[in-house]
Amino acid sequence: MRDKRMVLFGFVRGAAAIVLALAVGAIFIFLSSDEPFTALRYLLIGPFVSFHGGVTAFNTQNFYQILAAMIPTIFTGLAVCVMFSANQFNLAAEGCVLVGGFVGSLIGIYANIATGWHPVICVLVSAVVCGLIMLIPSVLKVTLGASEMVTSLMLNFVLLYIVLHFLNYHFADRSKGATMTFPFLDSAKIPSLVSGTSKLTWGFVVALIISFLVWVFMYRTRWGYAIRMIGINESFSLYSGMNVGRMIILSSVIGGILSGMGGSLEVLGRYNTFVWRELPGYGWTGVTIAILAKNNPGAVPLAAFFLAYLNKGCQLMSTHSDVPSEMIDIIQAAIFLFFAAEQFLSGFRQKLVVKTTREELVRAESLDAIEGE
Amino acid sequence: MDAHEYVVRMENISKIYPNGIAANREVNFSVREGEIHALIGENGAGKSTLMKILFGMEQPTAGKIYLNDQRITLSSPLQAISLGIGMVHQHFMLVPSLTVAENIVLGMAPTTKSGLFIDYKEAVRLTREYSEMYNLFVEPDARVADIAVGMKQKVEILKALVRGARVLILDEPTAVLTTQETAELFQELKNLKDQGFTIIFISHKLKEIKELTDRITIMRAGRSVGVYETASITEQEISRLMVGRDVVLKMDKPEAVPGERVLCVEDLHYVNEWGKKMLDGVSFSVRQGEIVGIAGVEGNGQRELVDILFGLKLPDSGDAMVDGQSLVGLPQARIRTLGVSYVPEDRMTFGIAQTANIEENVISDRYRHKRFNRGPLFNMKSLHDESDRLIMDYAVLCKSRSQEVGMLSGGNIQKVVVAREFSSDPILIIADQPTRGIDVGATELIRNKLVELSRAGMAVLLVSADLNEVMELSDNLIVMYNGQIAGYFDDGQWDDLMMGEYMLGLKRQSDDEIRRACHA
Repeated sequence: MRDKRMVLFGFVRGAAAIVLALAVGAIFIFLSSDEPFTALRYLLIGPFVSFHGGVTAFNTQNFYQILAAMIPTIFTGLAVCVMFSANQFNLAAEGCVLVGGFVGSLIGIYANIATGWHPVICVLVSAVVCGLIMLIPSVLKVTLGASEMVTSLMLNFVLLYIVLHFLNYHFADRSKGATMTFPFLDSAKIPSLVSGTSKLTWGFVVALIISFLVWVFMYRTRWGYAIRMIGINESFSLYSGMNVGRMIILSSVIGGILSGMGGSLEVLGRYNTFVWRELPGYGWTGVTIAILAKNNPGAVPLAAFFLAYLNKGCQLMSTHSDVPSEMIDIIQAAIFLFFAAEQFLSGFRQKLVVKTTREELVRAESLDAIEGE
Repeated sequence: MDAHEYVVRMENISKIYPNGIAANREVNFSVREGEIHALIGENGAGKSTLMKILFGMEQPTAGKIYLNDQRITLSSPLQAISLGIGMVHQHFMLVPSLTVAENIVLGMAPTTKSGLFIDYKEAVRLTREYSEMYNLFVEPDARVADIAVGMKQKVEILKALVRGARVLILDEPTAVLTTQETAELFQELKNLKDQGFTIIFISHKLKEIKELTDRITIMRAGRSVGVYETASITEQEISRLMVGRDVVLKMDKPEAVPGERVLCVEDLHYVNEWGKKMLDGVSFSVRQGEIVGIAGVEGNGQRELVDILFGLKLPDSGDAMVDGQSLVGLPQARIRTLGVSYVPEDRMTFGIAQTANIEENVISDRYRHKRFNRGPLFNMKSLHDESDRLIMDYAVLCKSRSQEVGMLSGGNIQKVVVAREFSSDPILIIADQPTRGIDVGATELIRNKLVELSRAGMAVLLVSADLNEVMELSDNLIVMYNGQIAGYFDDGQWDDLMMGEYMLGLKRQSDDEIRRACHA
């Protein structure tokens, strides 16, 4: 009885956080916009519905674009999930996406591999490279106790400038006005899943499959179990005889592998050449997704969809009304705050517990009474 | 009876904790001015919760509190203190690195004229004044870290008195004291009573209650089951009201037949981070099929000994061997593979992962085993079978194996810990305070299991602050004092008075007698 209510309560609490966050966004829209209702319409239902010519219809292209936008964020979301599960506040997914994209690009440009296997090898190599990169913050944490949050945050910028260095001085296509690499070989590109310009590639399918595999890993294998237990209570795990250090490193390496995959799938699927000149931001989105999904890999695609939908809505809103697209940041920040606040609605939770306990006591007593007779 | 003779009245107090535990259910409790009032009940009966509510540490879910017939609501201990209610906690709230006087004036320290510095002399003077006024002897200049437990308690009492307490709550004050120290405390409390103080004395020790108190409120399972004049009720009646039946204090256990030595501790020395000698040449052994109990006032080296045996601390010298293999410096995983299992004292930190479910908690030491894995994947069926079996065997009261452990009661949480630790086919079980703070049913189950396992050939090392428990369960008994073994008893002939003398360091066996503990 109580458990059912608690599960329901979890959903209600999540929904309430989202509604409140949207309400906060709406307040800002009403404050800053001359046409708030148009803006809100585009924000909330714009991604699915086209309004052109007075006819409303389901907008397939927008829908594909939303799915396409989920590809990198599902991967970073999963990466952050795995690392957060081990209680590692590792933020280097951001830098790993960039490096993954860059390494994948280089192989996509310079390695001539039989069609079919080419993108696979690009993705695998970037996954391995990023997995190795994650050894830096995690080994420092395990051996020296250096805070993984600080080292991973700084590592992001180290990775950014290393990538920029190689891009500028070694791999730039000098014939172009802007700094970019040579174009990818056609064999390296991730094939499209649907026709049109949506960039929805097979990467999306891979992302869904990997989500399932990561869920299996976290909830159906001994390593995932150990990672979760360490995240809940490290002392307990140590006492139980788990190799805590090794598992922390493992979780971080998996985080790196997933981020690297996401980066290369995104770059090889969306672009013709490597164009990123700053951190792409998918790592941060991954943090929001992991929090929305409560570190459950199974819920990551849903959370990623929600954020991609919001993102698209904001984009449409800024094109069709006077509200700037930065609104997405405000809404995201609000969601983040409402979800992260542990005490959020805890008063209500307490009342719920009191109520259920009372009921149980009454029931127990009536049973006693019956037995007594 | 007129209501105004009561200094404190609590009416229909209910308290339900966020995890759903109903600690108090419509409790009525009142105390007369100038009496020593006992609040008695088994662990978990709700006495501490009730007193925390009276001291403002917890807010009641329902109910009213009156102080001198004035309705009061207490939102913090600060408020309770300002109203003249003081509490001495079971675990002392003192700063060990400060002196006694500094602790006593903490938060209300007298300052020098400039207002910048603490007037230490004035603090010492104040401490002396109160110390003499209430016959509570303390040494104002001593560092709290260096003084004995009994004196720490006096410091706590003085702290409350200096802050103007007229009603004193003492939460199991004798739990950490030796027999002699307890007698001294009682004299002091009677003294305070004569000077008009009202004292609420929480305990679950019948003898003490009979000796000390005027009236008694008995609690059971969160309810008050009656208020009595202490003189008009017998110990047997109290015990029956407390647990609903007579407490079984005697364990029926078959004679131990000790076999080979399993654990050999040889000449352990350990100096703690503040340079205090915590272990000073401790040697003993535990054999198959016997329970060796370690008694002693807390802080005499038991903690350090257990930490060393489970790889948390490294000894300065000496060795500890299981089955001939040294476990010093090994990681916990290796110690476990040697066949050692461990019931930790702090079960919430080391024993369980609170937000994980029961199944995840009972498999934490064996999840890698072939039995539970199929290639890279868990064999969920065998995991479910294992957890269901353990839940059955150890009578864990729960809805299912997927219930969150943190939602269980203290006793059931400990059953989960014990179910895991006792079922891993260990050759040595180290049980550190295995029944502290849990209900009678769980306590009995755990004690019976310990006896059963030892008779099946396992070696059991039992460390417990509950003197009754070590005396009843142990086949052989070690008393520790000041980092050394003060006595080794293998004749089953011991009583609390004799234990007290060894625990307090008044007596010590000869080296030859102590060496028998090694069975070399």
